[in-house]
Amino acid sequence: MWREKLELHKSNRIAALYPSCKFLVVVLYSVCSLLLGSIGVGEGQYSLYLIPWFLVVPALCVASGIGPRFWKAIQKVIFIAALILVVQALLIPSEKIVWQLGFLKVYESGLRSGINLSFSVMNIAGIFVWMFQTTENREIARALENSGMNYKVTYVFISTLQMIDVLGKNSRTIMNAQRARGVETEGNLIVCAKAFFPSLVPLILGAITNTEERVLTLESKGFDVQCEKTHLFNLERSGHEKVVDVIAIAVTVAVVVWRVVLWIL
Amino acid sequence: MQPEKKKYSIKTDFSMLAILIIPIAVAVNFVGGQLASILKLPMYLDTIGTIFSAMLCGPWVGAVAGALTNIVTGIANPVNFAFIPVNIIVGLVVGFLARANMFSTWWKWIISMILMALASIISAAPIAVLVFGGVTGSGTSIITAAAMAAGANIWAAVIGTEGVFTVLDRIISFVISMLVIKVIPPRTLVKFGCGEMYIKKPVAAAAQEEPADTTESK
Repeated sequence: MWREKLELHKSNRIAALYPSCKFLVVVLYSVCSLLLGSIGVGEGQYSLYLIPWFLVVPALCVASGIGPRFWKAIQKVIFIAALILVVQALLIPSEKIVWQLGFLKVYESGLRSGINLSFSVMNIAGIFVWMFQTTENREIARALENSGMNYKVTYVFISTLQMIDVLGKNSRTIMNAQRARGVETEGNLIVCAKAFFPSLVPLILGAITNTEERVLTLESKGFDVQCEKTHLFNLERSGHEKVVDVIAIAVTVAVVVWRVVLWIL
Repeated sequence: MQPEKKKYSIKTDFSMLAILIIPIAVAVNFVGGQLASILKLPMYLDTIGTIFSAMLCGPWVGAVAGALTNIVTGIANPVNFAFIPVNIIVGLVVGFLARANMFSTWWKWIISMILMALASIISAAPIAVLVFGGVTGSGTSIITAAAMAAGANIWAAVIGTEGVFTVLDRIISFVISMLVIKVIPPRTLVKFGCGEMYIKKPVAAAAQEEPADTTESK
């Protein structure tokens, strides 16, 4: 039998930070990325500072003890970033050509915007990956509730994540049942499109009719009652939040000052 | 007899039933996207839940369902965070169309589908171009890139390819939502904010006299 672990104790100091502290880091890191991206370096005005800046994210993830999970999640982002870089550099024509190989021409303005866009995406998406890989969803929900959010909002959030599992399982059951009845699920595009309807309509319908019962259940258990709620799961602060906040703000201030100085000069 | 015009407020929109529909809508978006990729359809089909929740419960519930979809999928792939506004707009547009009773006859369906597709393209194209430089890593990106290689302007390439697939996507999503709503029994439909619109009047009248004949099978 699977039983939910009630309390969390993380041994890693960075991973154990309070969710709102991690969120502050994410926001400030994104701001710094945008500012650094606006600084052009060298002759071509490429925003090269974003590339070493991106090393912060993997370093942070390895230090948080989530190296392999980070790599798994960041692959999709790297794919998109690489695609952006290639498309921008090769396909946005401009007068100056930086590099040429046969019919492939790398244009200067395309390369500039490509580097800027792809590394901004990598930086901002990467820091979000760090936050969500080090924080469990119920921690986020609990932190939201602690910060004064209505308990219904957190209920919807948690219930959504469970519902995805439930409906995912149901959809596989329905698809197998429809296949057994003779609905073709493989073949050309039209056959596949036709299989889509009998798989999805019963799924949605079943879910909606079940909702009525869930309303009755929740109401009978006092979901709507306005009173203080008890929690099975409590969050603890690791005690290092202040230090991390100060470091994050200090780095951001330094980046802002640097950017302003470059503007003035 | 003309029924008096219904008044809406955001607070009554989020009834208990609506709150429980949001998770289902998000899960349907998610599963729809998965099914589309299992069946190898060249579309996302990941707004079905947003569309039917907005059709049943109004614009605000639809907008929340849309935003939450991208937040949840963004946990796995943060690139989706950038498209939160698109899904919110889908929910809002469909919800306001539902309130204006734009889903009652076939010619209104067509207008609604066009409006839905237009709203998505107008909101998605600037994000795709300005944040991702035209490519978002989906199947349609190859076509966009090919159009750009052939010399098309980046905006034209994005709007052209996204446009075709968005229209197809919206037609399928809308047809599924409509099929679902058609088979929901009226006794359930009345509990939803905009549910009354979809109850066929003769059926509703017959239901008062003869309650057995309300569920209509496909």
